[in-house]
Amino acid sequence: MATVVDSSNPKSDFPIQYRELNYLNCSKGWKSWFFTLDHKRIGIMYLIGVTCAFFLGGLFAVLLRTELLSPARILLSADGYNQMFTLHGAIMTFLVIIPGVPAAIGNIILPVMLGAKDVAFPRMNLGSFYLWMFGAAFFLAALALGGLDTGWTFYTPYSITTSTAVITALLGVFILGFSSIFTGLNFIVTIHTMRPPGMTWFKMPLFLWALYATALIQILATPVLGITGLLLVVERAFHIGIFDPALGGDPVLFQHFFWFYSHPAVYVMILPAMGVVSEVIAVHSRKHIFGYRFIAYSSIAIAIFGFLVWGHHMFVSGQSKVVAVVFSAITFSVSIPSAIKVFNWLTTMYKGSIRFTTAMCYALAFLFIFSIGGLTGLFLATLATDIHLHDTYFVVAHFHYVMMGSSLVGLFAAVHHWWPKITGKMFSEFWGRIACLGVFLGFNLTFFPQFLLGTRGMPRRYYTYLPEFQNLHILSTCGAYLLGLSSALMAATLIYSVYRGKKAPANPWGGASLEWQCSSPPPANNFDHPPLAGDPYIMESVVYNEEIGGYVPVECQGAKKGSVTASGDKEA
Amino acid sequence: MNTAATTTTDDHADSHDHEHHDPRLAHHFDSHQQQFDTGKLGIWLFLVTEVLFFSGLFGFYAVYRSLHPEVFLYASQFLDTVLGAANTVVLLFSSLTMAWGVRCAQLGQTRGLMVCLVVTLACAAIFLGVKSFEYTEKAHHGLLWAGMYHSPEHHDAAAADGAAGAGDHAHDEAAAAGDHGDDELFEKTKHTLSYMTTVLWVVIVISGIALGLLFKNPNKKTLATVAGCVLVSAAGMVIGAYSSIGYHHFGHAEKPTDEEILMAETVPAEYAAQKEKVPEPKLAGTFFSVYFCMTGLHAIHIIGGMIAISWLIVRTAHGAFTTYYFGAVDFVGLYWHLVDLIWIYLFPLLYLIN
Ligand code: HEM
Ligand SMILES: [Cu+2]
Repeated sequence: MATVVDSSNPKSDFPIQYRELNYLNCSKGWKSWFFTLDHKRIGIMYLIGVTCAFFLGGLFAVLLRTELLSPARILLSADGYNQMFTLHGAIMTFLVIIPGVPAAIGNIILPVMLGAKDVAFPRMNLGSFYLWMFGAAFFLAALALGGLDTGWTFYTPYSITTSTAVITALLGVFILGFSSIFTGLNFIVTIHTMRPPGMTWFKMPLFLWALYATALIQILATPVLGITGLLLVVERAFHIGIFDPALGGDPVLFQHFFWFYSHPAVYVMILPAMGVVSEVIAVHSRKHIFGYRFIAYSSIAIAIFGFLVWGHHMFVSGQSKVVAVVFSAITFSVSIPSAIKVFNWLTTMYKGSIRFTTAMCYALAFLFIFSIGGLTGLFLATLATDIHLHDTYFVVAHFHYVMMGSSLVGLFAAVHHWWPKITGKMFSEFWGRIACLGVFLGFNLTFFPQFLLGTRGMPRRYYTYLPEFQNLHILSTCGAYLLGLSSALMAATLIYSVYRGKKAPANPWGGASLEWQCSSPPPANNFDHPPLAGDPYIMESVVYNEEIGGYVPVECQGAKKGSVTASGDKEA
Repeated sequence: MNTAATTTTDDHADSHDHEHHDPRLAHHFDSHQQQFDTGKLGIWLFLVTEVLFFSGLFGFYAVYRSLHPEVFLYASQFLDTVLGAANTVVLLFSSLTMAWGVRCAQLGQTRGLMVCLVVTLACAAIFLGVKSFEYTEKAHHGLLWAGMYHSPEHHDAAAADGAAGAGDHAHDEAAAAGDHGDDELFEKTKHTLSYMTTVLWVVIVISGIALGLLFKNPNKKTLATVAGCVLVSAAGMVIGAYSSIGYHHFGHAEKPTDEEILMAETVPAEYAAQKEKVPEPKLAGTFFSVYFCMTGLHAIHIIGGMIAISWLIVRTAHGAFTTYYFGAVDFVGLYWHLVDLIWIYLFPLLYLIN
């Protein structure tokens, strides 16, 4: 085990790598966690919550896929199937992907990246975690109170007439919405007012830009979801005739309101993951990010354009032709900023010295999967093809490529990238990479066949199917099993490292942004003095030091032997 | 904001000792200025989300009004413009006292701040009192959201039938019967409200006693102030409810014309005159759905504001605010202005159609 510089050794030239007293052990007892105002602890609690929700949602998914092994009944009744896919979708969107990167990883990393001591409103931060817990409790209650079978979209009029627990679930969504709003609000204010000296807007790490854009969407779109959900609750409880056609209401209006939030919400899911990928690719290619401003601006562009395309979910809901054409055109244009990002990441890797660390492997998987997911979105945005593809497995495959394959894989990349910083432990790269390979293969095996199924006419949300679809369904189910096992392996690897992993140095990967300057794991107040921020992508500013097993600033390295240049090559 | 800036720098220039121990400065901020700016940005963003939250309802209003203008034309006649206008004035006045309070806080005038906050709280309560009268009255006329809506015309017809069934139906008698029915409705409204006000009176008495007992006790300052806030709120609501009842009585006793008797209580005479021209549209209840959703959500925000103002009052009683630390007052003030502003939109959109 490499020696790490402890705080007890003040004579060392190197920055402090490890402290006996850090945010994880500076206070003990359940109260010190449940009432903590420390953003890092709150982030950890989010991470644990999100992981539990992920495995619950995953369990539902596995049950669904098992049911689809054959057109006949295997495990679930038809109604049971409807409830399963609804809760799977609702849990995965509202409890896992939306809070995943921003609330869990963002909470831990954002203030540290800013060199700040905490987010702007620590109490509100804790509050939004508890709102998340409440929301999750409502979802579980909905499960217990007879399930929910409307699909995660709650389309009227069925959601008004079904006898399942729509109100409970909607209240859950409402509460989760506020949790999300408060997180976003906190992040925007923190980024505006708490940047350290020297960090101008265009010296911010791109992850912060991404979180900023995400937060903008969160506070601008989520209130609309809140009020829509509330109106639907009131509609069900009091029959106000807003969405209920029986009372003269307009059920399609609900779709408009819903997608006005939920399309921007898909960018709440993807933007943070894109930010993660920007960081991971630059650091693990040991190269300055290419096209910094383009990536930063494209995040904002996506956030803005995202508000103007909701109609593409309603091409067959009876829109006027003109409206449909306009929405289709804007939808095409929203893919431009996404493509800009992909090209910039590729160019960043070009001639970099790429290391296939686990985090990097996930980032590469992201690139591959996101490209497919984004491009298939264009098929759906095309009016003529969408008539055929709407409500088929093609849509299912499309959004799983972007949500599961991109957002979630982005979350995995983030977890692996910042794991040493968060826990102070190194995980096994070997098992990490195996798990990554499993996730990648399992994912594609699960969802690629669904593109084929969709183009051949297999409708989504069906419990049974024509016999000619069975082979592809079986493939897909096998993929789901592989995916489940691999994510379990990933979790096992990470959890194992907490107990048995070696101590992490402050900067294991050679990142130049501020979070790598404080020890691993950070002390309770992150930095004793506000650090000076420079360009976060000058990878030459740190060099590898074998004694420490991590990167140190060039200034400290001096003439010591065994040094390695920034690009990772051994010096002669 | 400028005040904060100058005071903070002054403050830092001549006292270095309490920089790190100032209980008014949270540990993660470097200066009062930073703390204040952070809060300010935070509250503005929060207000943005509030506006968007309401925008869903306004969007809904726009859609339905453009699809069914006749519904809005017809049904808005049942809202009492005078009560709405009175409430508008009350809220505007409360915005004034709130703004004044913020000024007092900036200047460090604790007593002035206290007075302003209490007046604001009372105004909010009066608003709610009037609103509860309006709601009760609508409920008794069957003017509820779509699912519960009872057509007032149908209801008048029933009253007329009743009169017809009684035997002779000379015009005067029928009118008398209608009048009677209206009186009954109004009595019912009063009755329901009197339950509410009884509860409020109990609250007033209890909190009054609590306030009296705790007033001089320095250890129970918080409790005493809370009791005071409850007292003011309850009293305000009672005033609001009673004055609307009084107004209604007055307006009613004045000159019950035939048209007024024919129509539900609050319908202006002009409408009754043009009744033939605008038949009751099919979706009249939808208007009341909109009305109750919008004003209901607004009322919830008023209640939220009252809680926030009470919290300020408690903190003021403890002397929490100083010339360089008054952010909370400012922020609640901004929120209050927004709630006020939303009402300024709701009033014409709902009450003043036509
Ligand atoms: C790159 C540009 C993208 C384009 C052009 C695009 C386009 C579309 C279109 C046209 C649909 C509607 C298909 C239909 O229902 O017939 C759709 C559905 C969907 N997309 Fe995308 N999309 C893009 C990216 C994303 C991203 C990044 C996410 C999430 C992270 C996402 C998530 C979804 C979801 C969840 C649905 C289906 C919702 C449902 O009906 O349950 N999309 N997409
Ligand atoms: Cu969309």
